[in-house]
Amino acid sequence: LRILFVAEKRINAGSIQAVASYITAGDKLGHTIAMYGCPDPAFPKIRFSLNADGFDFVVFILESKLDWLSGLRLSRILSMVPRERRAVLDADGLYNNLIVVEDYDRNHATLADRDRWRESCERLGHRIFQPTSAPRDPRVKSLLFYGSNGEGQAATEAKKKWDLIHVGHNWWRWRELEQSLFPAIGRVREKIGEICFLGLWWDGCPPWAASLSLQNAFRVDPQLFRELRITIRPPVPFTQVAGAMSSAKVNLMTQRPLFQQLGIITSKYFEILCANTIPLVLISPKLAESVYGPHGRDLSLHTAIEQRIVSALETPERFMEPMERVRDHVKAQHSYTKRVQQLVTALES
Amino acid sequence: MNVLFVSKISPVARSVFPIFKYVEIGQQLGYHVALYGEQTNDTPRLPYSLDAKAFDAVIFVVYEPWDFPDMPYLAQLLDTVPKERRIIIDCCGRYNDTIRIEHDFNHLEKMDKHQGWEWIEGFEAVAGTILQPTLKPLRSNVRSFLWHAFDPASIAKPYSKPDEAAVAWADRNGGGKPFGMTYVGHNWQRWTQLKKLLEGVQPLSADFGPVVLAGADWERRPDWAEQLGIQGVDVSTELMARVRAEAKPPIPFQEMIGYMSQGRFSPVIHRPLFNELGFVTNRTFATFCADTIPVLMLPHGLVEAIYGPSALPLCVPEDVTGYFSAILRNPASHWKAVLDTRKHLAEHHTFQRRFQELTRIIEDNI
Repeated sequence: LRILFVAEKRINAGSIQAVASYITAGDKLGHTIAMYGCPDPAFPKIRFSLNADGFDFVVFILESKLDWLSGLRLSRILSMVPRERRAVLDADGLYNNLIVVEDYDRNHATLADRDRWRESCERLGHRIFQPTSAPRDPRVKSLLFYGSNGEGQAATEAKKKWDLIHVGHNWWRWRELEQSLFPAIGRVREKIGEICFLGLWWDGCPPWAASLSLQNAFRVDPQLFRELRITIRPPVPFTQVAGAMSSAKVNLMTQRPLFQQLGIITSKYFEILCANTIPLVLISPKLAESVYGPHGRDLSLHTAIEQRIVSALETPERFMEPMERVRDHVKAQHSYTKRVQQLVTALES
Repeated sequence: MNVLFVSKISPVARSVFPIFKYVEIGQQLGYHVALYGEQTNDTPRLPYSLDAKAFDAVIFVVYEPWDFPDMPYLAQLLDTVPKERRIIIDCCGRYNDTIRIEHDFNHLEKMDKHQGWEWIEGFEAVAGTILQPTLKPLRSNVRSFLWHAFDPASIAKPYSKPDEAAVAWADRNGGGKPFGMTYVGHNWQRWTQLKKLLEGVQPLSADFGPVVLAGADWERRPDWAEQLGIQGVDVSTELMARVRAEAKPPIPFQEMIGYMSQGRFSPVIHRPLFNELGFVTNRTFATFCADTIPVLMLPHGLVEAIYGPSALPLCVPEDVTGYFSAILRNPASHWKAVLDTRKHLAEHHTFQRRFQELTRIIEDNI
């Protein structure tokens, strides 16, 4: 099959790692997969194509915005590729009804926004997928989409620069960090070496957020970072994520509350296992098990957070066994080889 | 004939004035003319509609990529309106091979992230008919439609005789003209021509009066131009100081004619690309509504074709200083040219005529 992804071209965010992995895995399986656009040396693992009608299917990867879709470009794609051969991955679950989680995280600000999003999805694609095993809307099909490419485990760092690192952007994560992680770190701060938060918007809310009523999504407290002696670093390109994660003894993965509630999985679930580090995930044991298998519970950072962080730093060998079992599970269940096969089946169904 | 326009509206740029006039004239003729989108309370008040099926034609007025609507509205239009009823008015000559004139281009990937072929194929995907505001489109499949037009009702002071106009114009105390020259437009590919004018004015500065340039980026060469390496967005603050020229913010379209009327002269300057393509703009016509002597920095062929031969004396010759000096001594002959040109424009280039032309084009297609 020939599959063309249309996605926002972001080097350090979004689904770019997944697209690169689909291209590689697709080549091995005899499927030609590409991303819409011109070849770009800044994106070394991406095969680009502008020839939309040369593909059997076009899959739009939609995250939280639509404004990156140029009308000029989109008109051409829509006129070339009939709707039956177009699909949408609704990566952030915005096709759902209006959901507000704990009066904080939400998928839409208004019903009108939801309606616009829904109509966009329906007009763009004949099929709508969400990366969750249990989509809430009957019109949406499950397609986990994100997976593990197994690469990067060899990415070793002789010397660990950080004790703890969190690789990800400040996007609807602050409340959970403020309520759970930071108090726990504060209680054992003297037992932890250097801590780094690597990603966008940890240094402050972007200036455009207010006009979109998104200040809450980017909430941050620089004073708290100073008190906890947390270093902020800018994001790295997708090709360097595993390396960046491997620069720390322990990696922390967090997920915005909305995604946890919807069971939406992201690239981070698997990237963190490709790095040479101990992964600890700030999600419920149940959710961890659903993705990582039974040993996923051992990586869940749900209770006794400070003890588990200190334990990972002081006795890392205790985490090796569950980590390897989780890696085995992920390799068997969530490889991009499997994901490509699932995508092909979903498109052909 | 019910017409739905699709474009991004800005009160200080692009096609807000013609769209406003087409809506007005359409309503006078009993047609439904509206803009595509959700109704807003923004100024100017224009009727909006999302019911594309209720219109005979959908007309995309395109300057920039963002003149196409966002999702889901773009797909709504493409899904519900047949291509033969979709028309593009290509206001910047995008639907041509890539053309460079001096520093001016019709495709500028650095600015809008689109390559030349994307404009061509994108336009062909959207519309069955492509129009350009020139008498001579380069491509055989493009129809000429000037789009912009003259509005006699907007003439600030409709003098009947040149002498009357000249007396009022020359009367500094009673004429109410605080400026020697006013220019309303943005700093985009116009400096070369404007520089020539300002240098010509400089020796007359004491008699000429101050100059104002109202529009974006006249204070200095903007940072974005520097960062992107874009040429043709230039300005010399030294020259502006020497001729007592002042940069002012952009003027809303409703105030444009009144603002130009504050100057004794107002230049009509087309960017080099437009001169090459013979494109007209809103200012081509609106300047003749102001109580000012329009100063034409345009190719003679275009002047004659659009304004008629009576406008030729308004073309600026090589000796700019001598030209202005002569008008300041004897304005009546130039006012005759202005009034004759207004008459020509009122006969040949009104919005009413344009609406009829547009109606014929639509009827040819549906």
